[in-house]
Amino acid sequence: MTFFLAILDGLIVLLLAPLTVGFVRLAKARFQNRRGAPVYLPYLTLLSLMRKEMTVTKHSSWVFAAAPFFVLASAIALAFIVPTAAAGVLPDFASNLFLVGGIAAFGSVFLAMGGMDAASTFGNMGASREMTLAAFVEPAFYMGFSALALVGGTWSLDGILRHLASLPWSAGVPAASIALVALVFVTLAENARYPVDNPATHLELTMVHEAMLLEYSGPSLALLEYASAVKLTVMLGLVASLSLPFFLIQPPVTALGLVLGVLALIAKLALAAFVLAFIESTFVKMRFYRMQEYFSLAFIVALAGLLLALISMTR
Amino acid sequence: MTIDSLRSSLRLPALTLFGATVVPSAELPAYADACAAHGAPLVFMYGTDERAAGIGFAVHAVFALPGSGFVTLRSVLPAEKPSYPSLTRTIMAAHWFERLMQDQFGIIAEGHPDPRRLIHHENVPEGTYPLRKDFAWDAKLPHADVPYPMHRVEGRGVYEIPVGPIHAGVIEPGHFRFNVRGERILSLEGKLFFTHKGVEKLVEGKTPAEALPFIERISGDMPVAHTLAFAEAVERASCISVPKRARMLRVVWSELERITMHLFDMGNMGGNGTGFTFMAAQGFRMVEEMRRMHASLAGHRYLRGAVTPGGAHDLSQEAAAGMLRTLARIERDMKDVLKIAYGTDGLMERFETTGVLSRAAALAYGARGIAARASGVDTDARRDYPYAAYDELAVNVVTEKAGDVAARFKVRAREFEESLRLVRAALAALPEGKAQAPAIAKEGAALAAVESWRGTIYDWVRIGADGRIDRAAISDPSFSNWPLFGEIGPGNIVPDFPLCNKSLNLSYSGTDL
Repeated sequence: MTFFLAILDGLIVLLLAPLTVGFVRLAKARFQNRRGAPVYLPYLTLLSLMRKEMTVTKHSSWVFAAAPFFVLASAIALAFIVPTAAAGVLPDFASNLFLVGGIAAFGSVFLAMGGMDAASTFGNMGASREMTLAAFVEPAFYMGFSALALVGGTWSLDGILRHLASLPWSAGVPAASIALVALVFVTLAENARYPVDNPATHLELTMVHEAMLLEYSGPSLALLEYASAVKLTVMLGLVASLSLPFFLIQPPVTALGLVLGVLALIAKLALAAFVLAFIESTFVKMRFYRMQEYFSLAFIVALAGLLLALISMTR
Repeated sequence: MTIDSLRSSLRLPALTLFGATVVPSAELPAYADACAAHGAPLVFMYGTDERAAGIGFAVHAVFALPGSGFVTLRSVLPAEKPSYPSLTRTIMAAHWFERLMQDQFGIIAEGHPDPRRLIHHENVPEGTYPLRKDFAWDAKLPHADVPYPMHRVEGRGVYEIPVGPIHAGVIEPGHFRFNVRGERILSLEGKLFFTHKGVEKLVEGKTPAEALPFIERISGDMPVAHTLAFAEAVERASCISVPKRARMLRVVWSELERITMHLFDMGNMGGNGTGFTFMAAQGFRMVEEMRRMHASLAGHRYLRGAVTPGGAHDLSQEAAAGMLRTLARIERDMKDVLKIAYGTDGLMERFETTGVLSRAAALAYGARGIAARASGVDTDARRDYPYAAYDELAVNVVTEKAGDVAARFKVRAREFEESLRLVRAALAALPEGKAQAPAIAKEGAALAAVESWRGTIYDWVRIGADGRIDRAAISDPSFSNWPLFGEIGPGNIVPDFPLCNKSLNLSYSGTDL
C-alpha cells in the first residue's frame, strides 16, 4: 500500500508540474497589470515542442543529445523520492537527503555539460555561471536540511516531514522555521528564479539557466523545460509541505484522506507559486558579482537553524 | 567668446563658401586643434563631391561654440586621390566621421589610427564610394569578401563572446565582440551598420517635400527631431520664415516625443535592464497612452507628419486641453513610479557604479545628449543654439555628475519634468495665426542643430538652383555615442552590459543612414 502511495505522490507532481509554471506566470502577469496566458498553456507548449523538428548542430557530440534525458531522469527521480503530498510512505534510505542532493546535482551537471557541448558562447557562459552558483548553493542546502534532520531525528526527508506532521505546527519549532527560510533561498537559486536568475528574460548576456538551453529545440527542449518544471514543483511542494504539514496522505489511508491530501497539495503549490510570483514581481535581480552575499546570507540563516537545533537537542 | 572673436583669435582666412571658411587641407589639423583649444570642440564632419564645379572633393569640419554658433572649416581636395592629414590623431571625436567619409567618398584621412571600413561590410567591393555623384543609387554591386579584422585580446583565460547581429529580443541588428576574463569585460567592440538605407543618397535630387518621408524614417523613434533638423536646415538655406505659431507647435511636438521616449527608457532600464518588472509594466503602459494620444492629435503613433518644412501640424484648442489632461495624469503616475524606483535599493544598487563614462571621455569622444549631460557636460542644443521657439521658453538644462547608469536614469527623470513644463509653457504662449508658411526651396546651404531626446542632430543641407537637394549630410547622435561603449563596457561584468546598453538606448538605423 505505501508503495502505491509513494508512486501516487510522484505522479501527482509530474502531472501538476506544467500547471505550477503556468500559475506562476499567470500570477506574475497579474502583478504587472497584464491579463496573462491561460494556466494550462505550458502543457500545450510542451506538446507543440514535442511535434517540432529538432535542430542539432553538427559540432555537438552524444552528450548534447543525451543530456536532456539525464536531466529529465534526475527530475523524475526527485519527484518520486521527495515527499510532497504523502508522508511516511518511503523507506528511510530512499529519501535520504544526501541522495536527494546528489540526484539534483547529477541533473545540474548534465545540464551544464549539454550547454557546453554545442560549443556555443552562451551555452558555455551559462554553464560556467551555473557551476559557480552550484558551488554556492550546496553549503546552504545541506546546512538547512541538516537542521531539519536534527529536529526530525532522521536524515530521511520523508521521516522529517512525518515528524513535523506529528507536531501541532512546524512553525512552533524555531530551528525548523529558520531552516525553512534558508531553504526558500535555496529553492529560488536552484530553480533559476529571482534574485539569482530571470526565467523570463530575452537578454542572452544575463542568462544562467536559459543560456544552457539556447541550443536545444523541439523534443529535447520540451524534455528540459519539463524537467525544470518538475524540479520547481518538487522543491516548492517540499518547502510548502514542510512549512504547512497539514492534510498529508499518511497510512492508514482513507478515500477522504487521499482526496484531501491531493487537494491540499494543489492549494499549497498554488500558495507557493503565488509567493514566488510576488517575489519575482517586487524584487530586482541581483548583480551577478553579489551572488556570494545572497548565498552567504542563506548559509548563515541555515547555520542559525542548525545551531538552534543543536542547542535544543542538548537541553 | 563669440564666433567673431573666435575667428579673429584663430586668424581664420576671410574667404567663406556655403558658410564655411576655406583653409588649405594641409593646415586643417592645426586649425582644428586651435578651435578645440579655444573652447569650440569638433562636433560634425561631412564630405561633398564638388567635381561638377571642377574642384574635386571637399571635407568639412564643424566646430561648436555653445551660445554663439558654429565655425565650419572647409578644405578642397583633388579629384584624383583625395586626401588630407587626419584630425583623429589629435581629436578623438573625428574618428568615425573620417572613416565614414572614406567609405562614402573615398576621401583618405592620412595617418588615421584605425583606417578600417566603417559602413561598408565585407560584401561591398573595394573602391565603392556611394555618395560620389557618378555612383548610381540603384547600382548593383558584385559580391565581394573584403576582410574586416576585429580587435582581439590574447592571454590566459581570455574568452571571446560574439553577440548578434541577430538577438533574442525584437531589437535592431548589431554585432558586439566582448573579450572577457571570467565575467569581467576586458574590451568591447561593436560592428554595426546592418541597416543601411542610403537616405543621404536617395534624397539627392529630390525637393525637400519629396525627401521628407525618407527623413522621417531615419530612426523610427525620433521622427519629429529628424524632420525638425531637416526642416530648420532647409528653411535657413532657402530663407523661409516660419510663423510663430508653428515654431511654438514644433516645441510641443518635440517635447511630446521626448516625454514618450524618456518614459520608455525609464521603464526599459528599470524593467528589462534589471528585471524589476514593475517598472516595465508601468512605463510601457504610459508609453502606450502617449502613443495613442499622438495618433489622435497628429494622426500617427510616432508623430510622423508633425513637422513639415515651413510649418507644423496644428492643434485645436480642445485637442490641446485634452493633451494637458493626459499629461497631468501621466505626470502623477510617473511621480509614484519614480518614488518606488528611487526607494528600491536593489534597483539603485544595479544602476549605481554601472557603466561609468568619465567627463573626460565624454568630451574626448564628442558624446551628445543624455550620455554627455549625465557625465557632467553642460550641453543642450535647445539652449546653446536655439531653434523653433526655444529662445522664448528658457530651457533648464539637466546635468548629473556621476556618469553611471543611475545618472543617465536621473537625467531622464528630470528632463521628463522639464519637458512637461515646456509643453505647458508653449501651449500657454501659443499665438493665433497660421501654422504653415509656403516652403519654396531656394538655392543655398545651411547647418541646423536640433536636440532630439537622444542628443543633438546635425543636418547640413545644400539646395541647388533648381530647388532640389544637392547634398544632405545628416548626423544622428547615435553616431557619436556608439563608440562610447568602448569606454563604458570594460570593467563591467557581462550580465550588466544590457543595462549599460539600455541606459544609452542608441539607434542602429539612425547611425547607418
